[in-house]
Formats: sequence, C-alpha cells, structure tokens
Amino acid sequence: MAVLNRMDWYDLARSTNWTPNYVTEDELFPPDLSGGFGLPQEAWENYDEPYKQTYPEYVKVQREKDAGAYSVKAALERSRIFENADPGWKSVMKAHYGAIARGEYAAASAEARMMRFSKAPGMRNMSTLGCMDEIRHGQMQLYFPHEHVSKDRQMDWAFKAYDTNEWAMIAARHFFDDIMMTRDAISVSIMLTFSFETGFTNMQFLGLAADAAEAGDHTFANLISSIQTDESRHAQIGGPALKVLIENGKKEEAQKRVDVALWGAWKLFSVLTGPIMDYYTPLEHRKQSFKEFMEEWIVAQFERALTDMGLDLPWYWDIFLEDLKDTHHGMHLGSYYWRPTVWWNPAAGITPEERDWLEEKYPGWNDTWGQCWDVFIDNVVDGKMELAYPETLPMVCNMCQLPILGVPGKKWNVKDYPLEYNGRLYHFGSEVDRWCFEQDPERYAGHLSIVDRFLAGMIQPMNLEGALKYMNIAPG
Amino acid sequence: MALFPLGSNFEGDFVLQLIAIDTENTMDEVAAAAAIHSVNRRVRPRPDCIMRVRKQGATEFFPRDMKVADSGLMPTETIEIIWEKTT
Ligand SMILES: [Fe+2]
Ligand SMILES: [Fe+2]
Repeated sequence: MAVLNRMDWYDLARSTNWTPNYVTEDELFPPDLSGGFGLPQEAWENYDEPYKQTYPEYVKVQREKDAGAYSVKAALERSRIFENADPGWKSVMKAHYGAIARGEYAAASAEARMMRFSKAPGMRNMSTLGCMDEIRHGQMQLYFPHEHVSKDRQMDWAFKAYDTNEWAMIAARHFFDDIMMTRDAISVSIMLTFSFETGFTNMQFLGLAADAAEAGDHTFANLISSIQTDESRHAQIGGPALKVLIENGKKEEAQKRVDVALWGAWKLFSVLTGPIMDYYTPLEHRKQSFKEFMEEWIVAQFERALTDMGLDLPWYWDIFLEDLKDTHHGMHLGSYYWRPTVWWNPAAGITPEERDWLEEKYPGWNDTWGQCWDVFIDNVVDGKMELAYPETLPMVCNMCQLPILGVPGKKWNVKDYPLEYNGRLYHFGSEVDRWCFEQDPERYAGHLSIVDRFLAGMIQPMNLEGALKYMNIAPG
Repeated sequence: MALFPLGSNFEGDFVLQLIAIDTENTMDEVAAAAAIHSVNRRVRPRPDCIMRVRKQGATEFFPRDMKVADSGLMPTETIEIIWEKTT
C-alpha cells in the first residue's frame, strides 16, 4: 500500500481545533491554564512549529536513542570507572543528578499542560512528544545513578534531593516551580522551553557531555548527549508562540516572561554549572572557562534568538555580561565554605596551577576571590579547621534563594538590594532579582527563604546540627 | 533585651551573613559579633584599624556606643562593617 509523505498529511492531521458547542471556549481552555492572552483560538492556529515529527517517527528514533545509551551503560557496568574517577568528577555527577533527575518529571508535567491546554494545535503535538521526552529523561537519570548507590551513599540524592529542604534544592525548586509548575501553557512554552532549555540546558548537557568524555565517563557522556538531542527539539516549542504573541500586539507580556526566566536560569547555572566547570573539573580536562562557554553558547545564541524573534535583549543585559565573570566564583566559595550543607563533596580547585588558570581566565582573581581563599588556606595549613567551617547562615536572596554575594578583596562590592513589601523586609542579591520579584510580588511574597525559616524557628535546634537535620543531610 | 537579627556585610568579604545580636548591644559589640564570621575566615585582621558600623549605603557611621535599640535599624536589615584607620 502506498504511504503518503508526512508533509502531505501532517498539517491536516494535527489541526485538531474545533468549535465547541456544549461548552464555552473558556471552559474548554480555562485561561489560567491555557494562557490565551485574550487571543481567540484562530490566532493560535497560526502557530507554526519548526520541527515536525509524527508519532511513529518519534517512537522509532527514541527507541534507537534509548538502545544506544543503555547498551553503553551495560557494556561499561563492570569497568570501575566510578571507583577510579577523580573526586571532582564524582561531585559533578552527584550535583547534576540531584538537581536535574526529578526535575525532569516536573518538566513532563509542564509539557503535559501545554499538550492539553494550549490553544495551538502544533504546540499540543510537539509537547506530546516533549512530555514523553521528559519522562524518558527522568527514568534514565534515576536508573543510571542507581548502580552507584551501593558504592557511595550521596548518589542516593539523585532521587532524594527534590524531597528535601537542602538550600540548593530550595533554590532549584523555587525556580522550576516558578517557570513550569505554576504557569499557563503559553508561559511555560516561553519560560521553560525558549528561555531555559534553548540556552541553558545546552550549557549543562553539551558542556557536561564534553567534560564526561574527557574524564573517561562514556556512560554519562552518552546519557546526556542522548538527552540533549531531545532538548534541542522540544526547546523549539516556545519560539512560534512568541511569534504569535508579537504579531498580536503582546510583545511586552512576552518580553517580561523571557526576562524573568532568563535571569532565574542564569542564577541557577551560576551555582550548579559554574563551580563544576571552573573548579571541579580536573584542570587537564578543562576546555573553556565557564565565562567563555557562556559567552559562546548562551550569550551569542540568545542575542541571535531574541533579535530574530523581534524581541529586545533583556534590560539587564549589561549587568548579566558583567556578572559572568563574578557570580559563580562567589557561588563556589560559598558552597565550599558551607560544604557540610550540600549533597556532594565540593572540590576546592585552588592549587597553585589552578589559580594560575583562574588568573589567566579571570584577570584579577587573585586580588579578589584569591584574597578570601588565602585566609582559608592559612587556616587549613595551620590546623585551625574550626575557622574553615561556618557558624552562621549566609543571607539569601528572596528571589533566587541563593546567597547574596559580590566581589571580595580589593574590589569589594557586596551589596543587598532590599525591598519592603506589605510590612516585610525582603532581600535580593541584585537589582534584577528585585525587579523580577516586583513584576508579580503576590506570586513570590509568601515564600520563606531558608533564612526566613530559621528566624521563624522552623529549624531546631538553631545551629548547624539543626540546619543539617532540616536539610535532610547527614548522618546518612 | 531582645534578640535581633541583622545582615552583616563585612568589608572585604564576599557574602552577607546572618548575625544574631541583642538590642542592648553597642555598635562596637555588633562589629565584633560580625567579625567572628568574617575575620580570620576570609578577611585578614587589620591591627591598624577599628571596625565601624553603618547602615548600608550611608556615609556616616553609627556612634560606637549607640545601642541597636536606638539605631532605627529593622530586623534583618543590612549593615556594613568598615575598617577605620586609628592613626
Ligand atoms: Fe529534559
Ligand atoms: Fe526539556
């Protein structure tokens, strides 16, 4: 039997909008879930997805991808790569799995919202496949680390992290809840797929795949490149939605969503990926600095994507470019100093050779970040370990939930960006974090940061032991 | 007498830190409480200096013997601890 070419039937088959008779359009597509932006169904029928794939094609390709990644894992299971891996590399895996694996299920739920509630038929089709992608990512990134749980208890955090109040997890959840769990279908497409996945998952997955291959961890390298091929497809869901919004006079609303999501993504990657690339990855395996990678893969890509779309660069673009050389150094110093509170073992990454590299990549590193590390190193050398551990909490940002920090030493510029709202004093790590909050204060105002929880007496006893217990860390 | 939280922004350090002090503490005592978490941890001591306290962004320091209760500071507000040369 002759089979029609895909393009002869795809558009017709996926155009599943109809005119409801028994319910109103708002009942069929509740605005809070659909995010129609006041536009009728017809406007959304102009949504034109750049990546057209049918279900049989999808199944065939995905099956091959799964077979590839799982067979590499099976072949290397007895290879002792994990046992012989550099401790820095183990930390990379732990940080990655904990922060990402269960988030994939959250992403599946966000894709499912687009699948059911988007008024754009093309979006519903793409996110049907996207939802299955995310389920696959969740399954793989729980299954792959599982073989290491018996060797290293911290590997258990691949599954556990999301259910804890560990501070970095509070930050990750706050961001993912904001962009994917509590937004309408169209906003999800802009904030999750266009803003977060286009650039930043490329960052995490492409960058890490290269590092994994360098470190000899071919199982991990294959796993995440396999995931990345899905991401680069379903990350394209948001673009055509932005086009529809702009064509219908909704540029301002679209722009605001991009600006809020991009900033949150940047902050999360500054704590997750920044330290990995510039401190944990063994020196001989480093290809590019975090800043170089960001400039090549994120900055250039977004500048092009935003302009192509008819959007503006976020108003804070200059602040962002400036922060690329600073923020992640602070996130690293912070997570190292508060190292009992994370579920991996951060590598300090500051041997003389590594410091030379840092100084070369970030001129002035020794006069700023290096000044703090000098005191730290003296304490370790002099056996004053009590001074190398924290006795209080950092103040954290009420938007990104990460420590409020800046450049130390000779270029000291640390600053709080406070805001009084409804009688409560909020603190922010930057002008941009405060601006994000102010765009929709009621959305964020009720959330308690880890410091707010501590001051409210929710963490008992009020010391490191109580804090570790609250965060589900140690013992075990 | 009441516990009072403040955010310590210590000159030369990289991060704001929570300090719990008492409304009866003087500004010199506040500076000393803040120093515990920064000096000799990430900031070198400076024997030629004393530590002064000011509201974030202010140019004037609080008087050294001023009590927190009289400072007008709000709970969790950020203070800056600045080295001042004694010579
Ligand atoms: Fe994913
Ligand atoms: Fe995704």
